[in-house]
Amino acid sequence: MSSTWVIAQKELLDLRRDRLFAVLIGFLAVATLISVAVAAASFRTQLDAYNLYVQQLTASGGTSTPAAPQLFPLQLLRGGVEYLEILGALFAIVLGYGTVAKEKYRGTLQLLLSRPLARFAIPGGKVLGLAIVWFVVVALMTVATTVAILVIGNAPLQGIDMVRILIAAVVAWLYLMFWSSLAIGITALSHRLSTGLIVAIVVWLAFVLIIPQIGDTMDPDNQVPGGLFATLQIQKPDELKVLANFAAFDGIRNGLEVSSITKHFERLSFAFLGIKDKFNQQPLGFVWADMWGYAVTLAAATLASVIFAVGVTTRRNVQRKIS
Amino acid sequence: MNTFLVSARYEMLNTRRARTAHLLLIVFIGMVVASSVIGWVTNQTVTGVYEKVLADGLTTAPNPFTGVTPLYYARNAVIYVLLIGSLMAIVLGVQATLRDRKAATTDLVLSRPVGTAARLLGQLAGLGVVLAAVIGISFTVSWIIISVINGAPLGWAETGRVIAFCLLSWVLLTTFSLLGMLTGLRSKQETTALLVPFAIWSAVAFVLPQIGTAARPVSLLNPVPAVSSTGGYFDFVSMITGPLSVTEQFKRASSIILQDTTVTGDATSSTLILLAFLTVMTVIVVATPRNRMRSGVNE
Repeated sequence: MSSTWVIAQKELLDLRRDRLFAVLIGFLAVATLISVAVAAASFRTQLDAYNLYVQQLTASGGTSTPAAPQLFPLQLLRGGVEYLEILGALFAIVLGYGTVAKEKYRGTLQLLLSRPLARFAIPGGKVLGLAIVWFVVVALMTVATTVAILVIGNAPLQGIDMVRILIAAVVAWLYLMFWSSLAIGITALSHRLSTGLIVAIVVWLAFVLIIPQIGDTMDPDNQVPGGLFATLQIQKPDELKVLANFAAFDGIRNGLEVSSITKHFERLSFAFLGIKDKFNQQPLGFVWADMWGYAVTLAAATLASVIFAVGVTTRRNVQRKIS
Repeated sequence: MNTFLVSARYEMLNTRRARTAHLLLIVFIGMVVASSVIGWVTNQTVTGVYEKVLADGLTTAPNPFTGVTPLYYARNAVIYVLLIGSLMAIVLGVQATLRDRKAATTDLVLSRPVGTAARLLGQLAGLGVVLAAVIGISFTVSWIIISVINGAPLGWAETGRVIAFCLLSWVLLTTFSLLGMLTGLRSKQETTALLVPFAIWSAVAFVLPQIGTAARPVSLLNPVPAVSSTGGYFDFVSMITGPLSVTEQFKRASSIILQDTTVTGDATSSTLILLAFLTVMTVIVVATPRNRMRSGVNE
């Protein structure tokens, strides 16, 4: 058995026994399931309001009824995707940090380093262990949310919907691996363990919350409740024509957003799940043709993060650590 | 000098020396200052969009931004206070209480004739001064930038509103620093001490408002309030979750204070809720028993 695999097995065992890990994943799962239930309740409220309106219209002799609100089951996952992009990333950082920090706190680091291990066995094993853990977590959450859509949302799913959910699950796995690996690397480089965690959290704050928030608040359509263009009663084609005159501003805004890995994850997930109107009910080929660039950058960023973690988690870096 | 003042001075000194805390403080001050510029650039662009729409004859609706006050440019700061400020306050609070437990200085301090309440209140006062200084610096620079954008210094009324917003921000941040102090006192591990308040913060900032209004988590990071779902389930649940959503109460009260036209009503109830949380958290932290303060950290 290779030493990398032994370390990975140790990580799996550690995490299986870790109550904090169980609590974090439980919290994420509950938040995601709540978001599905709330989205389903919100749709039912809309439907009730629509039915009441139609009843009153019929009673008053009206004939032209507006289109009924339509439920697209995968759109119930929007809140879940957003929780994963915010909380999932934070918890991935904590797990990544924990894999390095615990060896120092428990005093097992010196024991590990006294063994004849290959250069990349420790970081490689830790990254492999986390990759397996995230695979299992994402798989379980995928099953749970799918069941939630069927049972709580009371919405039927087609075969193609399952494929879309699976693609979103792969995207989520890559995103979580990015953050865990980054946290391993930052913790390995930091002189103090707590500094490693706080620096990783500052990076999370900047790339998950601040940069997307700036982009979002710079969006002209986000300036009034319900949307600027809806308030001004402007149709989508006219909106696009008007915005074409502000291409430089929109370029800066979009540039800010795409500098965050979180936006790549969000846009990919929203596109494949049909949450974004443009991609709703569109064939997968159409979505891929538009989104492949985001898929490439997310995969490349994750690979770079893994290489960073494995590259900087050296014997010298981890040994100089102060608790 | 009494325990309270010594503890407060000690806390300020430690925060001044903590380089990691400086990173968060710099990010916070930088973003609050940048928020005015972002608000101004966005406002200019949106006004341009409206003028283009009007020139093309696509609308007859009035400009939704007519008559906005200069304080409009500060509205993004509300989000940065509850986003960066809250996390910064949590980190400061955790470090304040955990530091002594890790270094076992609590044992030494409590071997003297020192009351635990005076000691903890002193630490809180020290943190309160640090937070007040950070908020003061941020909004003084922000006031100058808004005055430059406006072409004239802000009037007394607007300056008063900025000060009221600073006070409200201080109440929120001190509440979160108390949460950090509490987990720093109660947790057996440093990771747990940092993570538990972060998890509570995310539940309060994202999960609670979503349960009561169906607002998407990311939309809660926009100063413009999301359109809430109402009727049946939502009316009932929001009655329970609304007062507990401290960050949403802060957003609401701040938006009213900063004269954001998209939020209407009175800021009193939201302010009272924030003050109630501050009081409750203070009582909980100050009631920490002596042996808990002296307990070691497992990591």
